[in-house]
Amino acid sequence: MGAFRFILRRLAFSAVLILGVSFILFALINAIGNPIQIMLAETPGVSDEMVATLSKFYGLDGNFIDRYWSWLWAILHFDFGTSIIYNQPVADLLQVWGMETLKIQLPGLVLSTLIATAAGVVAATKQHGWADFSIVSSAMLGHSLPGFLIGILLILIFSYWLGVLPSYGAYSTRNLFMGSIVIDGLWHMVLPVAMLTVFNTATLTLLMRSSLVDVLRQDYITAAWASGLPARRVVLHHALRNAFIPQLTYLGTLFGLMLGTAPVTETVFTWPGLGALYISAIQQLDYPVIMGETMIITVMLVLATLLTDIAYVAIDPRIRLA
Amino acid sequence: MHSTPVSVAEPAPPIVGQPAPLLAVEGLKVHFHTRDGVVRAVDGVDFQVGSGQTLGIVGESGSGKTISSLTLLRLAPPPARIIAGRVLFEGEDLLRQSDKRLTQIRGRRMAMIFQNPATSLNPILSIGRQLTEILRWHTGASRQAARDRAVELLALVGISDPAARLRQYPHELSGGMKQRVGIARALLCEPALLLADEPTTALDVTIQAQILDLLAELRRRLGMSMVLVTHDMGVVARMADRITVMYAGRVCETADAATIFNAPQHPYTRALLESMPRIDHSYSGARRVLPSIAGRPPDLLHAPPGCRFHDRCPEAIPECRRVMPHEYLLAPGHTVSCLRRGSPGEATP
Amino acid sequence: MNAELAPTALAETAPLRRPPLGVWRQSWHRFRRNRAGMIGLFLVALVVLTAIIGPFAAPYDPNDQSAMLRGAAHAAPSARNWLGTDQNGYDVLSRGIYGAPTALAVGLGAMVIASLIGVLVGGIAGYVGGFVDEALMRGADFFMIVPIFVVILAVVRLFGIIVVGTALERIPNLNLMTIILLLGLFSWPPIARMARAEFMRLRHAEFVEAALCIGTTRRDILFRHILPNALPPLIVLVALGIGTAILTEAMVSFLGFGDPKSISWGQMLFFNYQALKVAPWACLVPGAAIFVTVLGFNLLADGLTDAFNPRVRG
Repeated sequence: MGAFRFILRRLAFSAVLILGVSFILFALINAIGNPIQIMLAETPGVSDEMVATLSKFYGLDGNFIDRYWSWLWAILHFDFGTSIIYNQPVADLLQVWGMETLKIQLPGLVLSTLIATAAGVVAATKQHGWADFSIVSSAMLGHSLPGFLIGILLILIFSYWLGVLPSYGAYSTRNLFMGSIVIDGLWHMVLPVAMLTVFNTATLTLLMRSSLVDVLRQDYITAAWASGLPARRVVLHHALRNAFIPQLTYLGTLFGLMLGTAPVTETVFTWPGLGALYISAIQQLDYPVIMGETMIITVMLVLATLLTDIAYVAIDPRIRLA
Repeated sequence: MHSTPVSVAEPAPPIVGQPAPLLAVEGLKVHFHTRDGVVRAVDGVDFQVGSGQTLGIVGESGSGKTISSLTLLRLAPPPARIIAGRVLFEGEDLLRQSDKRLTQIRGRRMAMIFQNPATSLNPILSIGRQLTEILRWHTGASRQAARDRAVELLALVGISDPAARLRQYPHELSGGMKQRVGIARALLCEPALLLADEPTTALDVTIQAQILDLLAELRRRLGMSMVLVTHDMGVVARMADRITVMYAGRVCETADAATIFNAPQHPYTRALLESMPRIDHSYSGARRVLPSIAGRPPDLLHAPPGCRFHDRCPEAIPECRRVMPHEYLLAPGHTVSCLRRGSPGEATP
Repeated sequence: MNAELAPTALAETAPLRRPPLGVWRQSWHRFRRNRAGMIGLFLVALVVLTAIIGPFAAPYDPNDQSAMLRGAAHAAPSARNWLGTDQNGYDVLSRGIYGAPTALAVGLGAMVIASLIGVLVGGIAGYVGGFVDEALMRGADFFMIVPIFVVILAVVRLFGIIVVGTALERIPNLNLMTIILLLGLFSWPPIARMARAEFMRLRHAEFVEAALCIGTTRRDILFRHILPNALPPLIVLVALGIGTAILTEAMVSFLGFGDPKSISWGQMLFFNYQALKVAPWACLVPGAAIFVTVLGFNLLADGLTDAFNPRVRG
């Protein structure tokens, strides 16, 4: 199967997936009845006409299939409707809060990949030595450490006991750190990024080590040694590239996991990102936001998977135009 | 990690300056320390290869022949550990060289061809990169010079349109082609000794003959020595000047190819030859069935004391069970490890 | 050549040095020598014992808020409350102990559901093959890419509203059961994939073909010949899955979407996170409990992988 057709098939599957998720969620939200009615049920002085007008405004009138189609049609034009709570276009909310989420998640992903690769190489090449043992055991511990516990420990140590790093928010509310909004922003990023890095590094390291150990046992690596190539070239040039292939799939999965558990991360650090937005939306039944954000997260997951597929093609010639 | 660890108790014996053969392996012992115990994969093996000679090492799987050959380059994989012995190659004991020195010998003076061409080429590097990289490391050649040399070698091993092949990846080549690339890779620096571990086992029968002919011709043309490891008596019959027969980590018999085939002395060698289908035999009448060797090779975790072949040997006497046979010199260049073939007085030192 | 020969009569008369052990006993022998696995087993046993014996040994009733009346909420660990009290005047140790049965119920419940679906789907896909296989595995892919956690949060919340005013509302711990059900519904794909691979491999195994030859019924083939042989890798996945399910429930509860009527570690974190600065023990204790439990199951799975599959290791 050619690389192009391979990616085309993935795209088609992704489209079906996104449609499926959107339909299930739409149906579920509709099963609870009219959210406007539920929200305003206990508010005094609300007439039925007001509920009807509001419902019409938020696109909650008409039959189920019609509403689903018009909603889907709007989404395809990047119109996610208007947030009931914030009274702003959902698209704007997603963009603003989404940037804040990516601001901590992408550095976390990049840092942990770098650290895990280095640690994995050391552990795999010094197999069964003390360095290997300490890397594997700490990765094993870190792998089972829940993300929020890492966050809690970081806050306790660096914010409460040492008092050197801020424990919540993306910016200071009163005095900016060192008087600069950029530095203040970076300053607030340190702990959330550290938490995501610690959390991801552990798993990535275990994976890197095991796939590198596996690759180092392959015939072509023995052949590279037998050709007299020095350790640096064999490990970094011949083995690492091959060991990275299984890692790639996991990076896609990991990105999804990070995005999916953003509500937890952002609750721990009171971070104004997609996760926090999502929680307030489900608590208050801000239905356009729930729908829009679930869609965005699903689309981002699908894109991440697609990106890993493309990266595969770039790194592994066996998929290229086979 | 890439060199098999050596833990030899005895000090390095001095290298005696006689007209030494190109390669001399003496008393090599390689053990695997597993969780279930020590596996004596290679348990005191000696053999020699002279300049321009081809030595065939024959044995069934698990006889230690592959580990022995990998140990020559100190590439036996963990948990292998070299317990004793010397590997004298061009006047140096390879078991007592630094990793740095080994990288200068591997690929340049002693190179290797692997059993499975499908797995012994790096799948994600182009043929060109895999070949030129080695040349540039060993000879410091320029990019262009390395390319030219790679093309030259690909042509030498009979690959058509070699310049275009440099841009290809292993999966784009057939099995026989891949093995030719593997051979070209081994010959890049014109090594003095070529190790070939079952070089044709993974190939189609028609391709096998081509590759063997190619190897024989290249060996003659480049004046190399060769160690050919195989389980296939037919292959050694065709290629080898001398033959070493291994069984369960030990050498049974070593002799000229002609002697091994015409006058085998060790019962295991005889059994091996008898179980080989022959065109000049008729398998009709009373001997309709191709004879086979009864029983199976011993579990090296619990290797039997004495001769390791004794429980399958048709000629075994009670002593074979207890006494480990020495290597007896039957004739110049013909040694055999069997109690029934030599009296103690004839033992070689 | 013919050096590798089939065993002959001579080999069979030769005495065996060691009687061959069963697969399970052999695995146990290897498992016992695996340090990580044994630590995992110990931690899991600790959690299980806490869940069984704990409630009888807990110093306080988990719903005892009397410390509140004394004005002793947020009290530091002392002789009276070994691990302190929390925001609501609960004894942290007692609450922590009562969290163990909940955690195990979540982990086991979710994995029972996931295993049933997974083995069924994977088994059918692997055994039948063809179009059925393709369709079922696409379905599994679907569940693999869906952002599970976000969907669970939304569904738990929405379901909570849907049941208001219906008969379902009277079921005790309905919310927890919903979470368990959802966790189960979303965790089966890895099990299905493994079951599929195993069933496909075993369907053509010689012993299965031999059983077919002597006329064994299809049911016996599936349940007596294939399933027991497919179990080892599935057990590893289930052990891992229990840890993951417990962790996910903790995260759901930590965000305030847990079951208010049951005592869970995640919920302790939810109630006490705002007071992290004044009473860190009230967060650290449930946090540590989750960590120990998840670590236990992960190490156990690690040891089991090694025990069932000794060649995977370097």
